[in-house]
Amino acid sequence: MMAPLYEFGRFGDSASLVVAVLLGIAFGWFLEQGGMGNARKLSGQFYFTDLSVLKLMFSAIVTAMLGLFWLSWAGLLDLSRVYVPETFIAPQIVGGLVFGAGFATGGLCPGTSCVAAATGRKDGFALIAGMLAGVFVFGEAFPAIGHFADSTARGAWTLPQAFGLSYGTIVGGVVAVALGAFAGAEWLERRAERPARPMKVVA
Amino acid sequence: MTADARRRPGIERALAAVAVIGGVLAVVAGSPTRPTRGSVDVTELARIVEHEEDHVTAVELARWIRDDKPRLRVLDIRADSEFDDFHIPGATRVPLAEIARMPLDSAATYVLYSEGGTHAAQGWFLLRARGVKNVFFLRGGLYEWLEQVMNPHVASMTPQAQRDSIRSLTLWFGGKMTVVDSASTVPSALDRELSAPHKSDARESIRKIRRRAC
Repeated sequence: MMAPLYEFGRFGDSASLVVAVLLGIAFGWFLEQGGMGNARKLSGQFYFTDLSVLKLMFSAIVTAMLGLFWLSWAGLLDLSRVYVPETFIAPQIVGGLVFGAGFATGGLCPGTSCVAAATGRKDGFALIAGMLAGVFVFGEAFPAIGHFADSTARGAWTLPQAFGLSYGTIVGGVVAVALGAFAGAEWLERRAERPARPMKVVA
Repeated sequence: MTADARRRPGIERALAAVAVIGGVLAVVAGSPTRPTRGSVDVTELARIVEHEEDHVTAVELARWIRDDKPRLRVLDIRADSEFDDFHIPGATRVPLAEIARMPLDSAATYVLYSEGGTHAAQGWFLLRARGVKNVFFLRGGLYEWLEQVMNPHVASMTPQAQRDSIRSLTLWFGGKMTVVDSASTVPSALDRELSAPHKSDARESIRKIRRRAC
């Protein structure tokens, strides 16, 4: 929402900062409303007991993807101007594993740690400190690991390019994968709830 | 659990149905990106080209830049690395593909240049097709700029006033004018355009300019 208005000069630097703060607060508010500031709930996904994060992420992806596709199709949005972050295969796999290890250990990701801190949870503050420490260590270590961090670069690489398929086919495919993931997640959650009852009987 | 209590299966199913419909239709909807269409008055364009109103000379462009012509936009459509090596002062680097979709200022005067003249002329056509009236290209490209503005060779028989005007323009851009004995030794821009292998020429000239700057 902000990018086109900012790019075409509808508002300047200071106004865009105000908008960024408002969007950030709204983002955090809805994360908290969805229970995403709670580390117990978030870590549930690593034990297949609560897959809210997976469902939330896939909902966001499908909503944004369908919105971008159809707005662009209707001529209301220029898809070629949407920023696509660059791909670096090997460093991003390693980064993803480090990120996942931190997420599973602390139970929060960078965004949700801010949400947790905003509601006064101590683990949120601890994770923000950890995140800043990680940024600092990465920055200091960059001369040594910079070569690896820039390796296997693919530029702005999209799924249609990677698979050689049309945009529409990828959109349809991602929707199918998302719905399959939802169904699988619900099945896992139901399965996780079941063995709890007999255990109570034993106890 | 509160999340389960808040659950409304009806809404969830409706949203899933919307996603399925959106996804299935997307497969058959075709490309989400629209081609940028433009139109040209072919007769008008032919007239402009025939009357040579489609391009500027390097000296004209240099005067426009020096005299701060209002809303002048000089676009360099060469590669990034070439632009970084050397470009006309005040120019913006714009890839040819970007010309097809960049936002336009209808009151601006656009001047396009490339290494020679071909790409800039093609860019000129694209901008005309997008409805820009005040658009020109540098016919001899950057070679012409280097030859006529940065390193002009002026015959000794040229009138003093004209020589001074060329010298002051060249100095304004940090170039150097050379006076040569006879007019016959000065190859015109067009002669060089047709004969010389330019690529090394331009590189060499740029190197010389950079050395002088140091």
